[in-house]
This record gives sequence, structure tokens and C-alpha cells, in this order.
Amino acid sequence: MFAYIVRRLLYAIPILLGTTFLLFLLFNVVPGDPALQLAGKHATPEVIQTIRIELGLNKPWYGQYFDLLKQLMTFDFGRSYWTKQKITDMISSGAGASFSLGFPAFIIETAISLIVGLMIALYRGSLLDKTVVAFSVAAQSVSLLVYILAGQYLLAYKWGLFPISGYDPDLIGRWPYLVLPIGIFVFLSVAPELRFYRTIFLDELYQDYVRTARSKGLGMKTVMLRHVLKNAMIPILTNLVISIPFLILGSVLIESFFQVPGLGDLIVKAIANNDRPVLISITVLGTFAYIIFNLLSDILYAMVDPRVQLK
Amino acid sequence: MSSISFQKTTRYLSGLALFLGLVSMSACTGKGGAKGVLKLPAAADAKSLDPALADDLYTNEAISLIYEGLVEYEYLKRPHELRPLIAEAMPTVSKDGLVYTFKIKKGVKFTDSDAFPGGKGRDVTAKDFVYSFLRIADPKINSGGFWIFDGKVKGVNDWRAKNKDAAKVDYDTAPEGFKALDDSTLQITLVNPYPQLLYVLAMGYGDVVAREVVEKTGKDFGNNPVGTGPYKLDRWMRGSKISYVRNPDYHHSFYPTEGEATDDKALLADAGKPLPLMDRVELAIFIESQPLWLNFLSGQLDRAGIPKDNFDSVIDSGSNQLKKEFVDKGMVLSFAPSADVTYTAFNMLDPFIKKAGPKFRQAIALAEDTKDTLKVFYNNRGIPAQSPVPPGLAGYDESFINPFQRYDIEGAKKLLVEAGYAGGKGVPVLQYEIGQGAESRQMAEDFQRRMEKLGIKVQINVNQFSELLSKIDQKKAMMWGVAWGADYPDAENFLQLLYGPNAAPGPNGANYNNPEYNKLFEQMRYMADSPERRKIIHRMMEIFATDMPWLPGIHRVTYGLSQKWLQNYKIGYMGGHVAKFLRVNEELKGK
Repeated sequence: MFAYIVRRLLYAIPILLGTTFLLFLLFNVVPGDPALQLAGKHATPEVIQTIRIELGLNKPWYGQYFDLLKQLMTFDFGRSYWTKQKITDMISSGAGASFSLGFPAFIIETAISLIVGLMIALYRGSLLDKTVVAFSVAAQSVSLLVYILAGQYLLAYKWGLFPISGYDPDLIGRWPYLVLPIGIFVFLSVAPELRFYRTIFLDELYQDYVRTARSKGLGMKTVMLRHVLKNAMIPILTNLVISIPFLILGSVLIESFFQVPGLGDLIVKAIANNDRPVLISITVLGTFAYIIFNLLSDILYAMVDPRVQLK
Repeated sequence: MSSISFQKTTRYLSGLALFLGLVSMSACTGKGGAKGVLKLPAAADAKSLDPALADDLYTNEAISLIYEGLVEYEYLKRPHELRPLIAEAMPTVSKDGLVYTFKIKKGVKFTDSDAFPGGKGRDVTAKDFVYSFLRIADPKINSGGFWIFDGKVKGVNDWRAKNKDAAKVDYDTAPEGFKALDDSTLQITLVNPYPQLLYVLAMGYGDVVAREVVEKTGKDFGNNPVGTGPYKLDRWMRGSKISYVRNPDYHHSFYPTEGEATDDKALLADAGKPLPLMDRVELAIFIESQPLWLNFLSGQLDRAGIPKDNFDSVIDSGSNQLKKEFVDKGMVLSFAPSADVTYTAFNMLDPFIKKAGPKFRQAIALAEDTKDTLKVFYNNRGIPAQSPVPPGLAGYDESFINPFQRYDIEGAKKLLVEAGYAGGKGVPVLQYEIGQGAESRQMAEDFQRRMEKLGIKVQINVNQFSELLSKIDQKKAMMWGVAWGADYPDAENFLQLLYGPNAAPGPNGANYNNPEYNKLFEQMRYMADSPERRKIIHRMMEIFATDMPWLPGIHRVTYGLSQKWLQNYKIGYMGGHVAKFLRVNEELKGK
């Protein structure tokens, strides 16, 4: 397995190089000179040129690309063009806030959708199943914005159950502010997940091994938890592990409505301000996260299913 | 067995709901807020807390609670006037208007910092101002404020050029224009008279910083501000909130003792009292308008602007006054011109625009219905602009009426015939560049529909802001819609937008170049406000209206609501943040 992990990590190098090159190409093809934006409303050609030199934008494209690779290889992502902050500080602070919002939501949503998914698969066609499926379809049909606007207005403003918005970087102090956005996050994401897990469990329920287990006298609860859940683990793990980078990248709308200073807000501002170093750093880290979590899901496959062998 | 599983699951879910309920109850206990705290909204975060990077309104406001300059605007006077701040008095100016000499107040201190010996803040000297001004000209810092000294202060451009390729910028050799004659005397020498100098020194770029602190904190100076202002930074949660605490060593600024005759008497209740009036200030950053408005309505904010979507529920459209339910809550409405102008610019170097001539542009202006735009998109919060210069500024001419700032579709069609494009024949598809956002798009579509009445087709191109800037600066855009906000209260700041030598990538994105206009601008730019200057400006407006390089849009009006407990608020202040003048009446807040 060790050799497999090393090999997969080595494969990551060309993927990262390709990603950085594509990103770099994109920024050089897409119009919009960061120097113009930084020069402000009283720009002169002299000021714009000075900024270009300072940012290294006057160098040929391969010189700029080499500088970028050097930065990434030394894990020194440099500073934001716009705020002059260290990008590592910006990302770590934003990722913390996004993770505080996304991780609990992910755990709650996964727990609810797995448990309820198992239940409704078991009682397929019952009133409970039909109600839950109808709820899921209805919940999926409503825009996230509606949940945010209504949740904030009714639960926070009208009924005073939660703070309207805000954030506290303190590890304990942040939670009162996060309950409502986490609730909305859960409410929104549980619907599609429920339908997904229900389908997976139903696929498994009609397999021969279930019939065999039942004919051997095993109870439905045991069959569901010991056999169906285990056999359904591969698509479940794929779904869960691939979702993890999204927890860190955050939800732009939820963060901006609830004043959570997460990565979503950072990305939106970086796009608006043409803050290339920030955008490149976040994208490269996101790519790296995907590679790592893909690898992790492969390792987990082997752990949950003895038929899978990592070679 | 299945039913047991269902019951257990229900129990787990009930437990989860109980947990969420408990957390939410703990959230509610946090409401109310500490005493002595002023809570205000900001529409965007500061990009840095370094005065050299105070390029936008929000950064400028955020730094103004920590940093100060030689002069500031009078809080209550309109039109705006300046008063000394760190300067002991207004400067003496040489007869030729070229040499400004400032005396600096004694005992104005920087707040404590590890960068100072013993960690104690030291007195501000004239040398600190020389250093701070040179930072604005430093080619390595790339301050967006270089324009305030560019070509205006003696030797500054040479100093900048000399340091462009230097490994280390030489702050020890100052140019002739910036001189510290002694610890408390600063002299600024100009190349030409520049009556706007005092105005630009009241901007964030004119604030004083301590060299030791800048050198110790290096590139992180913007996160570690040390100034002389009424507040110190307590905590900055980027994108969410900036918190300030009172500077205990602040003793040199007082609440004004004079206002306007029309001011409410309550505005002078704190006259002569030392500033600031509150112990803490919290600036909460709201990207979206709903949380801002709900926080204000629930009393979590002391004042707020009125979001566009809520305007009709707050303001009575007939009387333009606050609706009864808000009056009953003791809320106070205030509004004032924003000192800005929105406009649609033509690129005068575009081959078609150049060829089509002024009559074509006048026709388009007559087909534009500014009053309707005001109603549909601004809830009538503004007035149609007759020229680039907004009301409230020295040089604004109320009597000037632009003959093409009105809706007259028949007149437009007639002018189009005179221009040689009857029924829009021969006019290529006009390329209209806009920034992102639903409202920009809707406004552009409105323009598109109006042009159809003239037989002219318009193609709307949506751009990222940087992309739009690139197109304008590279002279590739044909038409675009933008706005300009005042840097200082003088008509020159707006009229320079059409001065030929300021063509793109300078602020004259329209690349308008009329020799008579240019000559008049050169005459008026160095003059102080006077009837003679106003006459010149009037003529410039006439030239503008004839040539129509822009379709003038509107001068916006800002509306705001204050809670009944907020005292001393006067809208329309141009000099940084108003927080140091404000007071929260805790007794009224408790009621």
C-alpha cells in the first residue's frame, strides 16, 4: 500500500503543474490588467508601469510562470496584490471560519441523511418514504437564497432565536453565530443526499446476499447495518470524501449573508479585484486537496471492501 | 425490530434538536451590547489599515479613526471648510501661493508600540510628515495617492524616479518640496499654485505615520496600525468586523462649537467637549443589505443607510418623509447629496463616435430619460446631472441647465436626421460596456430599449471590473457607464475628468480633448473659488453640453436612518469617518 501511496503522490506532480499552467494561461488570456485596478482612479502611464514592475508583470510569461512555481514549491504563496496580506494568513483564517461552518453541517447532514435514507429504503413505498421523498424534492426545488432570506428574517429577526448575523473568532464564542447558518446548510444539503442514499440502499436491498441473509433468519436491522450499509460504503465514501474540499471552500452566499469571514468571501473579493496570487493559491490548494482526498477515498475503499486491492 | 430502530432514530434527532435549541438560547443571551459602544455598518471592508493604501472610501473611513493629518473638515459646516487637526493653525501661504508653512501642535502622540523606546508612544514631529508624504511617492509602495503630489510638489517626481530602481528607497534625502524646518515646522513648496493642496492633505493619504513602526512591522504595517487618532485598533476580523478602542492619550481635538444656521440645536449639545465621545467603535461589514437592515431594525446598529429594496417601506413617496411607524420608534431620517455623478461616457477616439459628431451624441442624450431612471433604479434618490459638477461643491452652478438633459424623443429623432443618421441608418451597433451586477444590466437594457426608438441597436457587453478598466484604459471601449465620487469638495476634481492631457489611462477615459475647455481648465485649476472662477466653470459647462462627451446621469442623494439614541449625527461629511463626533445616549437606548 505504501508504494501505491507514494506513486499516487508522484502522479500529483504533473497534475499540479498542469493546473498551475492552465491557471497561468487563463490569467494571461483573460483581459484585465491588475496594475490598472491597483493604480486607482487617478492612474497615469508612469504609475501603471511602476506597479507592473513591482508585481513582476513586466517580465516575459515564462519568467512570471517560473516565479509562480518557485513560490508554490517553497510554500511561500506571496502576498495579495490588493491587501498586501500574506496569502497563507488569509487562507488559514478564511479556511478556519469556513470549516467551522461547513464541518458541523457536513456531520449533521451526513448522519441525518444516512439514518433517514436507511429507514426510508427499508420502508420503501410507505407513507414515511413518500413523505420524505416529497419533502426532498420540494426542498431541492427552492433556492438557497430563499432559505437564507426566510431563515434570517423569521428565526433570527422576528422570533429572536439566533443572532441575525456576525462571527467571533473565539473557538467557543463563534458557535451562537453559526447555529442558524449551519441549520440552513443542513436543511439545504440533506434533501439531495437523502435521495442519493435511498437509491444506493435500495440497489443493495434487492441483491442476492440480502435475500440469503434474510432466509438464514437474520433480522432486517442486522441485515441493514451489517450487510447493506457495508456494501453501500463505496459510493457513500466517494460522495463523502469528495465533499470535504467544499467544506473548506465554503458557501459564498451563506458566508456573505451571515458575515462569516470564510474562504467564499475571500474568493469573491479576489475575483472582483483581479487578485491573481490569491486566486492561484486557493485553486492550487483546492487541487491538492482533491488529489489527497481522492487518494484517501481509495485507501478507505480497500479498508471497507476486501475485494479492493491497492497495487 | 424495525420500529425499535425508528424510535431510536427519532430519539437521536430529538436530542440534536434540543442541542440546537440550547445553543440558540445561549445566542439570545448575547443580545443587548456593552455600554459605551458605537455600532455602525460599513458596506465593504478596508483593504489595509495603511494610509498610503487608502484608495477607496471604506479604507479611508476605517483608517480615519486611527490616523490623522494636518487638517480636517469641519464636521457641521456645509459647504465644507477645513480646520487644523495636528497643525496648530491653518498654514501660512506665501504671496505667490507656492510655499505652505505648517506649525505642528505640541504633545500630539503616537499610540504605544514596541517600535518605540520603552514601548511608549512619542510626540509627532514635522519629520514624521515628511516621511509619511514620501511613502505616498515611494515607487515600491505604489500608493494610489501619488497623484496628490505628482507634478505638484517641488522635486517629488525626481525623488520618485531616483528611487525607482534603487535597492532601498532613500527616505533620508527628502526633495526640496518637503522640508522639516524644525521639529514643529513643516514646509511644503509647490511647482505651481495648487489651492486644492489643503483638501488633499485632509484625505487619508495626508495622515501621519511613524517611521519606526513602519520599519519594524515591514510589509505587515497595514495590519498593525499605530497612529495619533481618537481610537486604536482592537481587533480586525477581515470581512466581518473592525473594532476600535478609545486612545487614552488623545487630547487634541474637540467637538465643534459652530454649525449651520439650519442645524438642529441638539447638534451642538457636545460643543467644545474633548473627542471622542464613545469608548468603543465597532464597524460591522455587510455585503448584503438584508442582514444590515434587520440588525438596524433590531437595534443592533445605531444607524444605517436605507437599502434600495426597503426604501418604499420606510419613506412615504408623497411627502418624501419617514413613515409613521419609524417616526413612532424615534428614528431620525437624514439625507444629503453624495457629491458624485453617474455618467455614460463616449470614447471620443472611437472612429464612429469621432465621425458622428456632437449632434449624434446630443440626439442620444435627448432620447435618454434620466428622470425615469431615477424613479425606477434610485427610488428618486438623486437629481438629474446637468454637468459633471455635483451640488455642494465650490464651483457648482445651480443656474446651469443642460439643454440636452431632458427626455424629448422627437427632438432626438430630428437631431439624428441633422447628424446624417435618419432613423438610425448608418449607425453601427453601439458597443455598451458595463460592469457586473443585475442592476447595471437592467439599466443598460433600459438604455438599449430607448435607443431602439431611434432605430439604433446597442450591444451590451458585461465585464469584470478589471476588464472594463482595461478596455477604457486601452481606449478600446466605445461607450460605458460609470460614476465618480468627489475626492475633495472642489469642481476641479470633476472637471479634470474631461481635461485633454488626462486622457486614458488617466481619469479622462472619454479621451475628450477640446482646446478651449483645456485652456479654461488650466486657468481655473489654480484659482481659489471666486465669481471669476465660477464664470470660467460656467463656460466649461456650456462647452461640455455642446460636445456631449458624456451623457450626464444623476447626482445621487444618500439617505440614512439613525436610532433615537444616536446623537450628533449629521449626514454628508466628507472627511473620513464620523464616529469620533457621535454619542450613544444609553438612557434612551435602555427605554
